[in-house]
Amino acid sequence: MTDSSIWWRIAWRNLWRNRRRTAITASALAFGFFVSVFMIGVADGIVDSMVEDGTRIVTGQIQVHDPGYRPERSLHSTLGGRDGVDVSAFLDRIGEVGGVTGAAPRVYGGGLLSSGEETVAAGFMGVDPLLEPGVSGILAAVTEGRAPRPGAREVAIGSEMARKLGVGAGAELVLVVPAADGSMGNDLYTVSGVFRTGLPGLDAFQAVVPIDVFQDLLALEPNRIHEIGIDLRSASAARDVATEMEVVLSSLGVEVAVEPWTVFRRELYEYVSMASAANSIIVFIVFAMAIFGVANTMLMATYERRREFAVVRALGGTPGSVARTVVFEGIVLGVVSLIAGALITAPVMMWVHAHPIDLSGFTDEIRAAGSVMRPLIQVAYSVKGPLISSVALLLTSLFAALYPAFRAVRVPPADALAGR
Amino acid sequence: MNRTVVRTEDLWKVYPQEPKPVEAVRGVSLEIQAGEFVAMAGPSGSGKTTVLNLLGGLTRPTRGRIWIGEDEITALSDRELARLRLESIGFVFQAFNLLPVLTALENAEFTLLLRGVPAEERHRRVRELFALIGLDGLEDRKPGKLSGGQQQRVAVARAVIGEPALVLADEPTANLDTATGAALLEVMERLNHENGVTFLFSTHDPRVMERAHRLIHLVDGSVESDVAQGVRGGVGHDR
Repeated sequence: MTDSSIWWRIAWRNLWRNRRRTAITASALAFGFFVSVFMIGVADGIVDSMVEDGTRIVTGQIQVHDPGYRPERSLHSTLGGRDGVDVSAFLDRIGEVGGVTGAAPRVYGGGLLSSGEETVAAGFMGVDPLLEPGVSGILAAVTEGRAPRPGAREVAIGSEMARKLGVGAGAELVLVVPAADGSMGNDLYTVSGVFRTGLPGLDAFQAVVPIDVFQDLLALEPNRIHEIGIDLRSASAARDVATEMEVVLSSLGVEVAVEPWTVFRRELYEYVSMASAANSIIVFIVFAMAIFGVANTMLMATYERRREFAVVRALGGTPGSVARTVVFEGIVLGVVSLIAGALITAPVMMWVHAHPIDLSGFTDEIRAAGSVMRPLIQVAYSVKGPLISSVALLLTSLFAALYPAFRAVRVPPADALAGR
Repeated sequence: MNRTVVRTEDLWKVYPQEPKPVEAVRGVSLEIQAGEFVAMAGPSGSGKTTVLNLLGGLTRPTRGRIWIGEDEITALSDRELARLRLESIGFVFQAFNLLPVLTALENAEFTLLLRGVPAEERHRRVRELFALIGLDGLEDRKPGKLSGGQQQRVAVARAVIGEPALVLADEPTANLDTATGAALLEVMERLNHENGVTFLFSTHDPRVMERAHRLIHLVDGSVESDVAQGVRGGVGHDR
C-alpha cells in the first residue's frame, strides 16, 4: 500500500513553486469565500430583521388558539370553548418551555370608533398592558401619549386612524362592538396614546385596549381569551418550540392549536424561504466564476509539469497516482484559500456585525412581506454561511482540478520525456 | 546459469507521419542476460531511445514482442505495465529528471515509497546507497542545489534502489563533463559488479562504449552489430 503522504507532500510543495500564481489563485478563491459568507450574512441579517420586526410588532412568534379559531376568528372561539381556561396556568406552563421569553393573553373583536361626526371601522386587540410588551412591540410604538393602563377605559390607536378621526392623546372616543351575548357593547374610551408601527394597515385599522375592560365590553368572562401570543429567544426555533409546547399544553386537558410564525405569517415565511434560495444562487454564481480561473491556472501548471508526470509513470506510478498529484494540489489550494478567506472574512463580519451600515440617509423604513425593516445592513452570524461557502470553495478547487488531472493522466510518457 | 532479463522478437516501431511513416525501430531481436553491462550505440535517430522506451513499456511496439523476465510486456495493460516498471525496471534519463520538489533522499526512495516499503527501511537503504556512490550528506538537498553529476547519481540511486532486474539508462553521461561522466560510469560499473544490476544504456560517448561489456550498434533502427567486449555478459556476435 502506497503511503499517500508523498502525494500530499508533492502537492503542497508544487503549490509554492510559483508563489505569485498560487497567491493570485488563492486570493480569487479567498475573495469568493468572503463574498459568499458576507452576502449570506447580509441576507440572513435582512431575513432575521424581517422575521424579528415582522413578528415582534404585533403577532409574536408563536400563537396558541382554540383549534377552531383560525381562519374565521370567531368571537366565540375562545381557548377552552365557552368554559374558558385557567389563563395563569397556561402562562405558567408556556413559561416553562425552553426558549420562551414572554407570553401574553389577547382578546380580539371588530367594531366602530367614533369621534364627533367621524366614524371608522376598527380591529380591537385586548391586551394585558403589563405582559404585552414582553411579546409584541405595539405598545412600545406609541409615539404620542402613553399605553393604556390595566383596568382603565383607555385605547391606543394607530396614527392613520387618529388622523382620520382628527383626534390625539386625551380625546374621547365611542367604541361599539358586537358582544358574545348578541348585544352591542358600547362605551366611552379615552385615547391614551397614538402608535406608529410603519405598517399602513395596522396604523389605520388597529386599536389596543386593556384586556379586562374589553372582555367586559364583549361580555366574555375573564377566563375567556382568543389567543396567547408568545415571544421566543430565537425566531428560527419557533417550529421546534411549538411542537414541544403542544406536548406540554396537552397536559392541561384542553385542546389547543399551537402555531409558529411560519404558519400564521405564511407570506413572511415564503419570503424567507425565497431569500434562502437566493443565497444558494449567490454561492453558485460566485464559485462558478471562480472555477474557470482556477481550472485555467491548474491546467497551465499541469502543462508545465508534463515531463514530471512522465517520470512518475516511468518509475512505476500508475495513471491514478499522476491524477492524485493534481487533485491533491487542488484540495491543498482549496484549504489554503479557505484559511486565507476565513482570515479576511472573520474581522470584516465582526466589524459589520458590531457596526451595522446605516442606510437611513438613502432610504426610509423598508416594507416587505408585511414587515417593516430598519434601513440597516447588518450581518447575521450563522454556521450555515461559512459552512456552505467552505464546502463550495473546496468543491470548486476539487472540480477545477479534475480536468487538469484528466489531461495529466493522458500525457504519453515517451513523448513527454522527449520534450514533445 | 544465465537468466534472460530481456528478450525481444522482431521489434518494430513505426510513427505515422506525412508524407511517409517513420520506421524508428526495424525488426530488433535481442537477448540480455542478468548481470550484463550493455551499451547501445548509434548515431542520432538510430532508434536507441525508442528501443529503451519500448523495453520500459513507455511506448508500445507497432509489431513484435518483448519479454522482461517471464512477462511478455506487449500483452500487459497500462496498470500492469506500471507495476512491472515499479518492480523490475529502473530508469536513468539524460536530463536527470529528478522531481524538483523532492529532496535527494525523497527522489532516491521514490520507487520504494510507491512499493509501500516502510520509511525506516527506505531511509536506511538510501543512506547505504548514497554512501556507496558518494552522495552522503546530500540527502536533504533539492535537485536545484545539486551539481549535474550529483543529480545524475541521485537518478542512478533512484533507478537501482528497488533492486530491479534491469536498469535502462538513456545517454546518462551526455549532460556531464568528462570527469563527472567517468565517475558516474564507475558508480554504475560498481553497482553492476557488486550488486549484479543489469544495465542497458544508450550512448554516443566512445569512453562509455569502451567500458561496456557488450556493445550493440544500431543503425537506422536495426541492430548492425552486437559484440561482447568484456568478461561479463552472454553471447556476442557480429551481424
